[in-house]
Amino acid sequence: MSDLRPILLVEDNPRDLELTLTALEKCQIANDIIIARDGAEALDFLNQDGAFATREPGDPAVVLLDLKLPKVDGLEVLAKVKGDRNLRHIPIVMLTSSREEQDLVNSYELGVNAFVVKPVEFSQFFKAIQDLGVFWALLNEPPPKSRQRGGS
Amino acid sequence: MHANGVDLDSCAREPIHVPGSVQPHGALLVLDPADLRILQVSANVADIAGTDAAGIAAVLSPELAAWKASGSLPARLAAPGYPLDIAVHLHDGRVIVELERAASEAMDDPFARLTAFAQQMAGNIELGDALSAAARLIVQLSNFDRALVYRFDADWNGHVVAEAGNGTLPSYLDLRFPAGDIPAQARDLYRLNPLRLIPDADYTPVPLLALDEEQGLAPVDMTFTQIRSVSPVHLEYMRNMGTLSSMSISILIDGRLWGLLACHSRQPHIVPVRVRDACNFVAQSLAMQIGAASRAQTAAIGVELGRLHTKLLASMADADRWDDGLANASDTLLALTRASGAAILSQNGFSRVGDAPDEEAVRRLTQWLSENGIASDVYATDCLAAAGFDDRSVTETACGILACRISESDDNWLVWFRPEVIRTVTWGGDPHKVVRESGRIHPRKSFEAWRESVRDRSAPWHEAEIGAAHDLRASIVEIVLKKAEQLARLAADLQKSNKELEAFSYSISHDLRAPFRHIVGFSQLLTEREKNLDERSRHYLKMISDSALAAGELVDDLLTFSHLGRATLASGKVDMNKLVEEVRLGLAEDIKDRAIEWRVGDLPMTRGDGALLRQVWHNMIENAVKYTRPRAPARIDISGEPVDGGLLYRVQDNGVGFDMAYKAKLFGVFQRLQRSEDFEGTGIGLALVKRIVERHGGSVDATGTVDGGACFTFFLPVLPEE
Repeated sequence: MSDLRPILLVEDNPRDLELTLTALEKCQIANDIIIARDGAEALDFLNQDGAFATREPGDPAVVLLDLKLPKVDGLEVLAKVKGDRNLRHIPIVMLTSSREEQDLVNSYELGVNAFVVKPVEFSQFFKAIQDLGVFWALLNEPPPKSRQRGGS
Repeated sequence: MHANGVDLDSCAREPIHVPGSVQPHGALLVLDPADLRILQVSANVADIAGTDAAGIAAVLSPELAAWKASGSLPARLAAPGYPLDIAVHLHDGRVIVELERAASEAMDDPFARLTAFAQQMAGNIELGDALSAAARLIVQLSNFDRALVYRFDADWNGHVVAEAGNGTLPSYLDLRFPAGDIPAQARDLYRLNPLRLIPDADYTPVPLLALDEEQGLAPVDMTFTQIRSVSPVHLEYMRNMGTLSSMSISILIDGRLWGLLACHSRQPHIVPVRVRDACNFVAQSLAMQIGAASRAQTAAIGVELGRLHTKLLASMADADRWDDGLANASDTLLALTRASGAAILSQNGFSRVGDAPDEEAVRRLTQWLSENGIASDVYATDCLAAAGFDDRSVTETACGILACRISESDDNWLVWFRPEVIRTVTWGGDPHKVVRESGRIHPRKSFEAWRESVRDRSAPWHEAEIGAAHDLRASIVEIVLKKAEQLARLAADLQKSNKELEAFSYSISHDLRAPFRHIVGFSQLLTEREKNLDERSRHYLKMISDSALAAGELVDDLLTFSHLGRATLASGKVDMNKLVEEVRLGLAEDIKDRAIEWRVGDLPMTRGDGALLRQVWHNMIENAVKYTRPRAPARIDISGEPVDGGLLYRVQDNGVGFDMAYKAKLFGVFQRLQRSEDFEGTGIGLALVKRIVERHGGSVDATGTVDGGACFTFFLPVLPEE
């Protein structure tokens, strides 16, 4: 499956990062996982800028985006991606601890593709990550022009 | 006074200070102050002085020159060789010299009596006794038949408050005389010139003659003379009273005409200058005594009112609202103005103390006050009917009001009430009657006493009481303003702390949930990874994971709870039957092994926030399911019915129940009546129910007995269809 596009995981908390990676690993998704630790890194990756200036071209299959991030926060990243003609087709799933209604409303107004509140219970969390991975990385058909190999 | 259609008021316009004539018992010289040249003289100079004007002027010339040189203040002069009492004063650009025959017979020296009187006045004497003593002394000194102490009221009606006499004349004690009896310009003269004498009401006025061709008979202002000829109306008045001679001395308190010492005799009676001076001394001593008494009384009232004011202030400071503060101190409030009742209107409502009209009547009264613009601040009347407000629902309770408008914008009022006091006033003749005879008006021809009942009037409001109302109003305004400022500050503080709380709960929702998730995640990963863990180690891991899970739930519940306070409520038709059905379906999985007998009645529709009301049903039904766990079968009844003012819903079970002693704790956050190992839960469920129901304007209640089941109800006020 040479056309498997990578998943961009944007997460600043190392423990959440480890749990999410473990979950993705356990559901045997073969896509590469690219990790960004803050909003700025995420945007650099998507724009092939900064540390990612020389990466192979191509968009990720999905961005799993934490809401609270250092430097540029999740909602800002979301706004930039969905406001950019070249990037806005990239599916973005907001992954957050927050149950704040306002965050949910704002995210959908900015055009988020899905909004997931991370369950406390691990098996539920595991299930949620697995479902997300399977749906967005495998099942979801991207628009034709973005079907290029990306990541490493 | 000779024209038809005029009444006694016309004598109020008579220029009595320039009569152009004098009474015959004295003579007058009018001189030019520059050169002491004679300008006018009364026609009787020779008769009084025993020599003509030029002769007496020549005798007086050196004395007058000395008088002029020493400053021209009113003075007594002596004319050597002539037995005359001579007075001189400068007024209106003229030197006026009055001549009277000196007393011929030797008289008692009044000095001893005056000294005794002054000592009496200086002692601790009641005002009434002082007045009587003065009247008696005046009669003794002057030999008039009768002396009256005549007091003016606020409207210048006269009231005889003390009397002495030899019995020749009738008693006038306690009679009242209408204001018109002593017209305004006469009162002005009385104020300026404290003593006047009319020895014989049947006198023939003696005209002034001009001696200076250039000035002729220019009017001479006799305001400060003693022998001025008086109004014919007054002479007629005296004759009607049966008195041919009179003398009156003004009693001035703080420059205001308080009253008169009035002396009368049936027959003509002349009083020599020295006796008049003694009588004047009596009047001045009396005035000092009255002034001191009234100042002492005012001071005492002031102290008492200050004390009452302070009590009311303290009461207002103790209460949350000024109107409650006043109503709580009702006795003090009434004592402040010696009222029998009071009413308070504020934006908080209506309250009344003592004997006051009901709310509607008071509102009509304040409406009338503001419509007529007669109460911008404080308004007092002792006769509402006369003021133009003739609403029996008010006036049958109160004839007099003292009203304070606290604030115009909010229509806040404080009104005191006084009941009708029927007073019987005895007039010296009918004050409403003008007697006519052949086209001529006879003042006071009839002196029969005439009694009048004064109705629709309360006792009048004392100046000090009106002042106290002013002061209290100022204090209330200050308190109201201060409270408003405090409220505004409080609102701003609340807003700030609300914002902080929101930021706080937001941060909790993000940051506190994460570590619990990590604990659960890693301990479960560890459990999966270590297949060979012994039973105890697995148990420990489970404990770690369960605890973190419970803590996570707690955070979620708390957030939901705090969020509820802020969330806006949706409002729509809510089918309660459907909600209960959905909740039961949601619980079905958890209770598939339980034996539960459900009895669900037909529940009336309501209006409200469907999602939140579902939460109410969920928490109540889940509770019923939970606390009936030891029962087989468990019985849960759900019902609802319209009650007065709204709808009442009920969830009843046969579970473990609760002790009514702890009922108050039932709906509190984190309050649990059961041990957590017996029944799981975060202790927020019922607090959430209460908060949701209360946000709908309703209320919750519960009854129960230990091991005897529980019944939870919630009431929703029926909201109108939109």
